Amino acid sequence: MKGTLVSFGFAALVWEAFARSGIFPAVATPSLLAIGAALVAMIADGTLFVHVLYTLYRIVVGLALAAIVGVPLGMLMGRFGSVERFVLPLVSVLNPIPSLAWVPVFIMWFGLGNTAAMALVFYAAAFPLILNAWTGMRSVNRIWLRAASSMGADDRTLFLKVVLPGALPFVIAGLRQAFARAWIAVVGGEMIAATSWGLGWLIFDSKEFLNTDVMIATLVAIGVLGLVFERVVFQLLERRTVGRWGMVRMAGA
Amino acid sequence: MASALRLAFPFVVTALVWQAFALWGPFPPKLFPGVDKIAATFVRLLLNGVLVIHALGTIARLVAGFAIGGVLGVALGLAMGRSRRAEELLLPIVSVGNPVPGLAYAPLFVIWFGLGNLPAVLLVGFAAAFPVAVNTWTGVKTVKEIWIRAARSLGAGERQLFRAVVLPGALPYVLTGLRLGLARAWRVLIAVEMLTSVSLGLGWLIFGAREFLATDVMLAGIAVIGIVGLALEKLVFERLEHYTVVRWGMLAR
Repeated sequence: MKGTLVSFGFAALVWEAFARSGIFPAVATPSLLAIGAALVAMIADGTLFVHVLYTLYRIVVGLALAAIVGVPLGMLMGRFGSVERFVLPLVSVLNPIPSLAWVPVFIMWFGLGNTAAMALVFYAAAFPLILNAWTGMRSVNRIWLRAASSMGADDRTLFLKVVLPGALPFVIAGLRQAFARAWIAVVGGEMIAATSWGLGWLIFDSKEFLNTDVMIATLVAIGVLGLVFERVVFQLLERRTVGRWGMVRMAGA
Repeated sequence: MASALRLAFPFVVTALVWQAFALWGPFPPKLFPGVDKIAATFVRLLLNGVLVIHALGTIARLVAGFAIGGVLGVALGLAMGRSRRAEELLLPIVSVGNPVPGLAYAPLFVIWFGLGNLPAVLLVGFAAAFPVAVNTWTGVKTVKEIWIRAARSLGAGERQLFRAVVLPGALPYVLTGLRLGLARAWRVLIAVEMLTSVSLGLGWLIFGAREFLATDVMLAGIAVIGIVGLALEKLVFERLEHYTVVRWGMLAR
């Protein structure tokens, strides 16, 4: 904890020195005080929360749709060889295309705004979910399956009690990767497919008025939110499901 | 022949579905061109050199940016792994900065460095450096203390220790980091080309096509992006891994 404080203190000093050095004009490198003031002002008048809510809304809807489509698809791929042979080549060709390359196309199809941003999140998030659900299904221990069927489990019980919990650590890992990619996609999408709300749009819009203090304050908000999701939301999800069922050993549990 | 047919099957089905949607779907053909139109545009732009020239621009930028990010990341990671003080000072900053989408810095880089190549290359390097640094640091940390002591007691100097023990020991992680860094560089680059209006680049090609409602050009550009992305993975990294880590016996294959 103390080390972290020292580290951020150091970063703050470096920034302040850089800001006052005159390498760039002062308006391009605001001081910490100005950044802090911009952050406080955005929190005080509530606009920051509206931007955050818009961004979260887009990411949650896109991610949920991707999970609804991607996880069952990945599981079917793991279960049926024919599905795997059909879907896997498509996934391996589409996956290396950065989601943001689709922005111009999605703008054409869906116009500017929420739908394009959500479609972008969907595209970015779907592939890690499909690939991880597929890996998870294949990693379910064969002995567990045989043990359960020899004890008289029917297909449904087998799926609910053995296959699903067995594949879940991978699905959750996929959800994590999907979120990381969706986060990039939504910020980039909001910048390029300009709407009027959202953290990405806020950064991009501030550029027009050279409001670098607002830009950096928004970057701080993006960093904090990403950290909260990674450290709090996903760790909680892991602990409540796979950790509790004893599928993975949790650190410190 | 049979396996080639089997591999082609999913793509043929997808093309047919696409074609049916283009013909009978809700979009006008200008916004949702058929496969024949996209293929014709692809061939036309390939033969008159447009696709090649834009792809070369993108690849040059990728190489330059990734070289900066790779060197910076490895240097940072080695410093953090070898020196306690560097670790305490830098690691918290690197771990907080790592999940922030690199693209979010794009407007700031534009204010600092103007439009064009410079901010694009620098941003790609900046974004790629994080995963490289984190993985290099992990790699140096996983080099067994016993190897280091054994080498020391055999009379190895600092330089020899570094070259013969630390570097090969950390290399599998460094390569993983470089791989993640390149993937990130690739994703950021396509998007940042749209924002900094470089003169030649695939991102700019598909973004500029928006002005003319040329969806066929966009999709042909996306196809090239997919080909380059796939080639990066298959030609660059799988080979690099083979020639170094596998050869030295650091990784069981």
